[in-house]
Amino acid sequence: MSEMIKKNVNDLDLNFRYEIAKKIGAKSLLKCIQCGVCSSGCTVTEYVDLQPHRVVASCLLGLKEEVLSSKAIWTCSLCHRCTERCPKNVDYSFILALLRNMAAREGKIPKEYSSTVEVIYDNGFVVPYTEGMKKNIDRRRERMGLPEIVPPNLDDIRFIINETGLGDLIIKKEDDK
Amino acid sequence: MTKKGNKFSLFLGCTIPLKMPQLEKAFRDVASILGVELKEMEGVSCCPEPVSLQSLNIDTWLTLGARNLAIAEKMGLDVLTICSGCYETLKTVSVLLGEDPEHLKKINEILKKINYEYTGKITVYHFVEILTQPEWLEKMKSLTIKPLDDLNLAVHYGCHLIRPSKIMRFDHPEKPEKIDLILQTLGAKTIDFANKLECCGYCARLQEEIGEKLVEDKMTELCELEEEVDALIAVCPACVTQYDRKEKIIARRTGKELNIPVLYLPEIMAIALGVALEDLNLSTRSVKPNKLIEKLTT
Ligand code: SF4
Ligand code: SF4
Repeated sequence: MSEMIKKNVNDLDLNFRYEIAKKIGAKSLLKCIQCGVCSSGCTVTEYVDLQPHRVVASCLLGLKEEVLSSKAIWTCSLCHRCTERCPKNVDYSFILALLRNMAAREGKIPKEYSSTVEVIYDNGFVVPYTEGMKKNIDRRRERMGLPEIVPPNLDDIRFIINETGLGDLIIKKEDDK
Repeated sequence: MTKKGNKFSLFLGCTIPLKMPQLEKAFRDVASILGVELKEMEGVSCCPEPVSLQSLNIDTWLTLGARNLAIAEKMGLDVLTICSGCYETLKTVSVLLGEDPEHLKKINEILKKINYEYTGKITVYHFVEILTQPEWLEKMKSLTIKPLDDLNLAVHYGCHLIRPSKIMRFDHPEKPEKIDLILQTLGAKTIDFANKLECCGYCARLQEEIGEKLVEDKMTELCELEEEVDALIAVCPACVTQYDRKEKIIARRTGKELNIPVLYLPEIMAIALGVALEDLNLSTRSVKPNKLIEKLTT
C-alpha cells in the first residue's frame, strides 16, 4: 500500500480511532505525534506493506478497511521495540493485537494463527496431548523422573473460549468444512 | 530465604513439559540444588501463548491467563515461570488487570461460573529474576562444582523478558544484565555484541524468511568474532529451538560455517552445579555442544 490512497472524506470511519482507544490498554493511540521511531526500530520494517507509524496514522485518519485488510497487522515478530521506544508511550504492539482482533472478527484470519487456537480448544495446551501423543509424552517424562501432568478440565477451557467470543470463530470454521 | 521467598508455584506452560522435557529436568535439578521449593500447579492450561490467542481475542487470552493465575492464588504462592512466552502472558495479564479493576470484574464474572476467582494478590516471576537476588547468587557461587572458567558465552535475552519494560519490569530494556550476571557468577565470561538484543523471529509466523534472516545475522556475527564463542545461552524454548534448528538450515543453504551450540540457561547452570551430563540429554540439539563439553571435562 505504498501508493497514495485517495479517499472521499465521507468514506472515512472517523470513529475508528475511538473504537480502538476505548479497549483495554489502547488509550495511548491518540497521543501519537508521527515521529516514526516505532518504524525505525521495528524488526519487520522491511517486510511490511504499511510501516508502524503509518498504521497508526491510518487508524487516526479513519482508514479502517485499509488497516484491517493490511498484511502489516499480522506481520509482526512481537519484539515490542515499538512500544518500548515510543516517546509518547503509544503501546503499538498491543494496539496491533487489537487490530488483529478486529480483523479476526471480520473473518480475516491467517491459518498460521487459527490452527493454534484449535489445538488449545482440543487439548487445553498448545501441543497435542491426547491418546498416542499423551502416551509418548508421559513415557518420556517418566523416564526423566518428571512428575505426571495434570491437565486442565477441558470443559472449563472451552467455556472460557466460548464465553469470550472466540468460540464463534472456531464454529464458523467448522461450518465451512 | 529472600524477600521474595523460596517457595513458588511452578508454571511450566506447554512447550517445555510436553515437547522439551529435558529443559524442565535441567531447571528442576538447578532448583533442587539451590533449594528453591517448587509446588506443582494442577489443572493449568496453556498460559495462553501470546501470539495467536492474543491476536484473535484479547479477552479470551486475558481470561485463560487469569484462570491460571487464580490456581496459583488458591495455592497462596507467587508464580515462577521458566518460559519467556508464559512469563510475558502471565505478567502482562496480571499488570493489565491490576490497572483496570473494571475489566477484572468482567473477567471474574466469567471465571466465577466455573468456580475460579482472580483477585490480583500474587506476583509473576521469571526464574532469572529470583536467582539474581544477591542471596541466591551467593549460594550459587558456593555450590559451583564445575566452574565455567574457560567459557566465552553469548547471551540471548529474547524480547519477551525485557520489553515492554513498563509492563515486564525485568531489567534495563536496552542494557539488560541479569543473565550475564548468573553466568559470570558461575565463572564464565560473557560477551557484548551488536545483535545481542535482536529478536529470534520465532513469532513472525507469516514469513519464514524474517526468522531466517534474524538467525543468520546473529549467528554470523557470533561466528566471525575474534574470540571463539562457546555457546549461545537463551531462556526460552522458542528461542532455543529457533536458533538451534535454523542455524543448521542456514549453514546448509549458504555454505557458511555456523556451528555455535544453543543452550537453555538452566542446562549450563546444571553443568556448573555438578549435574551429570548424561542426565541432561544435550545430544537432542541439532548443533551438538561437544566442544564445550570437552572444554569443561578436560
Ligand atoms: S513512535 Fe510513537 S509517537 Fe512516534 S510515530 Fe510511532 S506511535 Fe507515533
Ligand atoms: S512488536 Fe511488531 S510492530 Fe512492534 S517493533 Fe516489533 S515487529 Fe515491529
